[in-house]
Amino acid sequence: MVKADEESPLSGYRVLDLAGPLAFHCVKLLADMGADVVKIEPPGGDQARRIPPFKDDLLHPEKSLYFLHYNTNKRGITLNLDSRDGRAIFLELARSADVVVETFRPGRMDELGLGYSVLIAENPGLIMASITPFGQTGPWRDYKATDIAGLALSNLMVLTGEPGEPPVQAPGEVAYGMASTYGAFGVAIALYHRLDTRKGQHIDVSMHECAAHIAGYFIPQYGSSGAKPSRASRKGEETDLYDPYETKNGYVRIFIIPVEQWRRLVEWMGRPEAIAGPEFEKMDYRRRHSEVVHAVVSDFCRRHTKEELYEEGQKRRISVTPINTVREFMESAHTKARQIFIEMEHPVIGKYLHYGPVPRLSETPGQVNRTAPLIGEHNEEIYCGELGFSKEDLIALTAAGAI
Amino acid sequence: MAELPLEGIRVLELTTGAAGPTCVRVLCEFGAEVIRAETRLRGDGHRGEDPAKWNKKPDFVKLHRGKKSFTVNMKTEKGRDFIKELAKKCDVLVENYGLGVLERWGLDYPQLKELNPSCILVRVKGLGCTGPHAADLTWGPNVGNLMGSTYLWNYPGATTATAEPRTQHPDFMGGVTGAFAVVLALIHRKKTGRGQWIDNAQLEIGASLLGPRYLEHSVNGRDPQAEGNRSLVAAPYGAYRCKGNDRWCVIAVYTQDEWERFCSLLGEGGIAPNGKFATHLERVRHREELDRWVESWTSQRDAYEVMERLQTVGVCAAVVQDVEDQFKRDVQYAARGFLVKLKEPEAGEVVTEGIPVRLSETPGRVRGPAPLMGEHTHEIARELLGLSDTEIKALEEEGVLV
Repeated sequence: MVKADEESPLSGYRVLDLAGPLAFHCVKLLADMGADVVKIEPPGGDQARRIPPFKDDLLHPEKSLYFLHYNTNKRGITLNLDSRDGRAIFLELARSADVVVETFRPGRMDELGLGYSVLIAENPGLIMASITPFGQTGPWRDYKATDIAGLALSNLMVLTGEPGEPPVQAPGEVAYGMASTYGAFGVAIALYHRLDTRKGQHIDVSMHECAAHIAGYFIPQYGSSGAKPSRASRKGEETDLYDPYETKNGYVRIFIIPVEQWRRLVEWMGRPEAIAGPEFEKMDYRRRHSEVVHAVVSDFCRRHTKEELYEEGQKRRISVTPINTVREFMESAHTKARQIFIEMEHPVIGKYLHYGPVPRLSETPGQVNRTAPLIGEHNEEIYCGELGFSKEDLIALTAAGAI
Repeated sequence: MAELPLEGIRVLELTTGAAGPTCVRVLCEFGAEVIRAETRLRGDGHRGEDPAKWNKKPDFVKLHRGKKSFTVNMKTEKGRDFIKELAKKCDVLVENYGLGVLERWGLDYPQLKELNPSCILVRVKGLGCTGPHAADLTWGPNVGNLMGSTYLWNYPGATTATAEPRTQHPDFMGGVTGAFAVVLALIHRKKTGRGQWIDNAQLEIGASLLGPRYLEHSVNGRDPQAEGNRSLVAAPYGAYRCKGNDRWCVIAVYTQDEWERFCSLLGEGGIAPNGKFATHLERVRHREELDRWVESWTSQRDAYEVMERLQTVGVCAAVVQDVEDQFKRDVQYAARGFLVKLKEPEAGEVVTEGIPVRLSETPGRVRGPAPLMGEHTHEIARELLGLSDTEIKALEEEGVLV
C-alpha cells in the first residue's frame, strides 16, 4: 500500500511521448496526473516549437506559447529515430516504459522497426496509443488531416458561421482535444487492466471518430427522422432562447429550457405584456413566435451591462452567462477563487500564468512540477543518469546525428 | 466475447443534461454496470415532457444506451434512503444535479465516505463545486461563453456575437474526461483501497484547450480576438466553396512541396498559375486573392472530388460534411463500422456513433439499447435492495418507487 497523499494517480508510470499536436492534450493529461513523461524530440526540436503565438511575437524555438502550454511537467530529450543509433536507444527506453503515445502516420512505426509487435516482444506490459487522423484501418487511413479537417468531417463545422459564408473553425483545436481525451481514457483503462493481467495493449484512436462525438446528437436524430440541422441560430430564427443578446457592453447568452426559468425571466423583465401570456410557457410556441420573444428580451438586455445581467440573472436562477473575452475569463472572480492559473517561470519566457491540472481529484490531485523542457534539456540526466551512457558516448551519438 | 475491463464495477448515475450521462456512458461501454436513477414524475430533459415519448427519443438513446433505469421519487425520504442504500453498494457515483442537492440528501463526499469509504464520487458541474459562481445554472454552451470560446469562435472583425454551433465540446469532452478521472481513481483504489471525489468542471476541462490563448494574455498582455480560418502557418487554409448549395471543402497547405503538388493539380484542371503565390509569405500576404484563385477550381467541383484529388497528391483536404454525408458518403466511417444500429424496443432502429477508442485486448462494446423508463426498477429493488414483490408493489402505490 502506498501513501495516498504523496501520490499522483499516475506517479511511477513512464510515458514515452512521440506525440504531435493531435495528441498534445492526451500527454498533457497524463503528465498533469503525475506520469513520468519523457518527450522525445528530433535533434533541433519538435516542429510544434514553430507554432504561434510566440512571446513578444518572436519566432524562437523556446518561445512558442503553444508548445509551452502543452509540454509542462515533462522531461525532454532529443533522439533521431531515422538513425540506427537512435532507434536502438528508443528500444532501450521502451523496455522499461509503461506507455508510448505516438501520432505518426499508420505504418511509420513499423517502417522504423519500432512497430507495436516489436515493442511488445521486448516489453509485454507496454501500452501503445496510436492517435491518428483516421485510425489504423480503412480507406482514408493514409489521408492527411489537421484539426480543421477533423471538425469539417464531423458535422460540427457545417453548423458554424453565417448562412452563405464559409463555415468557421473552432478556437482551441477541439477535434484534437476530443481525440486526446479519448486517448488518455484508453491509456487509463489499459493501465487498470494491466494491474491484474500484466498485459499491455495497442490503442487505436481516430480523430475523425472522436470529433463526431461533439455533434453526435444529430446522428440519431437524422437516423430516426432524416432531420438535418442548419447553421448556428443566433438571430432568433430557431430560438428557444438560446441567442446571444446585445447589452450595454458586449453580449450575454440566455439559454432557457425548463419552464420555471422562463417564468422567472418574465418576472425579472417586469412581465412585459407581449410575452406574459401562458401560451409563451411552451417552448414550441416561443419558437414559432421568436420575433416577439427576441424583441422583448433584446430590449431588456440593452438596458443593462453583461455583468449586471449575469449576477442578477443567476441570482434569480436563470441560465444567463456573459460572453467573455480571454482577459475577462482570466480576471473573473470565479477563475481567481478556483486558482485555475498557477504562477510559473520558464528560463526563456520568464514568469507566466500556467493553466493548472484538471479535473481535480481530492486524494490524488494533479501536479505541476516543472515548466516545458528546453531542447534536449534532459539528455544528460536520462542518457547518462538512467541508460548509463558516458559523456563521451553522448558526443559520439551527437556526431552520428542520433541525439 | 472478451471480458470488459470494468466488469464488476457498479455505477450509480444521478444525472441530467449531457455531460454527466456521457461520463457514465463511456464507463458503461467498458464494462461497468450502470444504474440510472430517474423518476416518472418528471421526464429527464432528454426523455422529454410527454410520457408517451419517454422511450422513443433518439437523443436519450445516444446518451443512455446500455444502462439500467431505476425509478424512484427522490423527493420522498424513503426514496432518498433507497438512493443511499444503492450508494453503499456502488463503486462509483456520478452526479450533475444542482450544487447543494447531494449535500441535502447526505451524499456529498464527507457523508458518502461514511457510508462507503471506497466509493468514488464524480461531480460533473459547469463551473465546479467551489468559487463564487459554483451554483450557476449552465448548459454546455454557457460555459463556452465564460471561457472565451464563444467570443473567439467567429470571423475576424465580425460584428455579430459569435459563429459557434449549438452543440459544443465542454459537454462531451467534460464527460469523457470525467470517465478518465474515474479510471485513475480506480487505479489508485486498487493500490490503496481508498476512494475519493472528483471536482469535474466542464468549464475548466473545455478551457484547457484555449491554454495558448491564455498565455497570449499572460505573457504578451494581449486580449486575443477572433481569427476565423486565418492561419500564419498554412495557406491556402480554410473552407472553400464547392459545387452545389452550401457545399464546402476544407483545404490546408502547409509546405512548399504540398503547394507545388497542389498547383500541378490545379494546372491540370485548367487553372492558370499565378506568380503572386510563389512563396509562403506571398500566399499569406495575399490570402484573400489566393482564396478566390483556389475557389475558381473548387467551385467547379463536387466537394468529395476536391477532397479525393487533393488527398491523392498528399494535401490535407476534408469535406465539410453534414449528418447526411456521415451516413451516406463517409466511406471511412462505413469501413470501420463507426455508426452503430441499435434495436430499441419502442423507438425502433436508432443509429448512434460508436466507440472511437479501440483497445486491442479490452475493446469496449455498445452494451445494448437504452432502458425504458423504470425497466429495471423491480430487478434492482429485489436484488440490491432486498425488497419482496409485495413490498415493491406497496412502494409503487405509495409513490416512492415511481
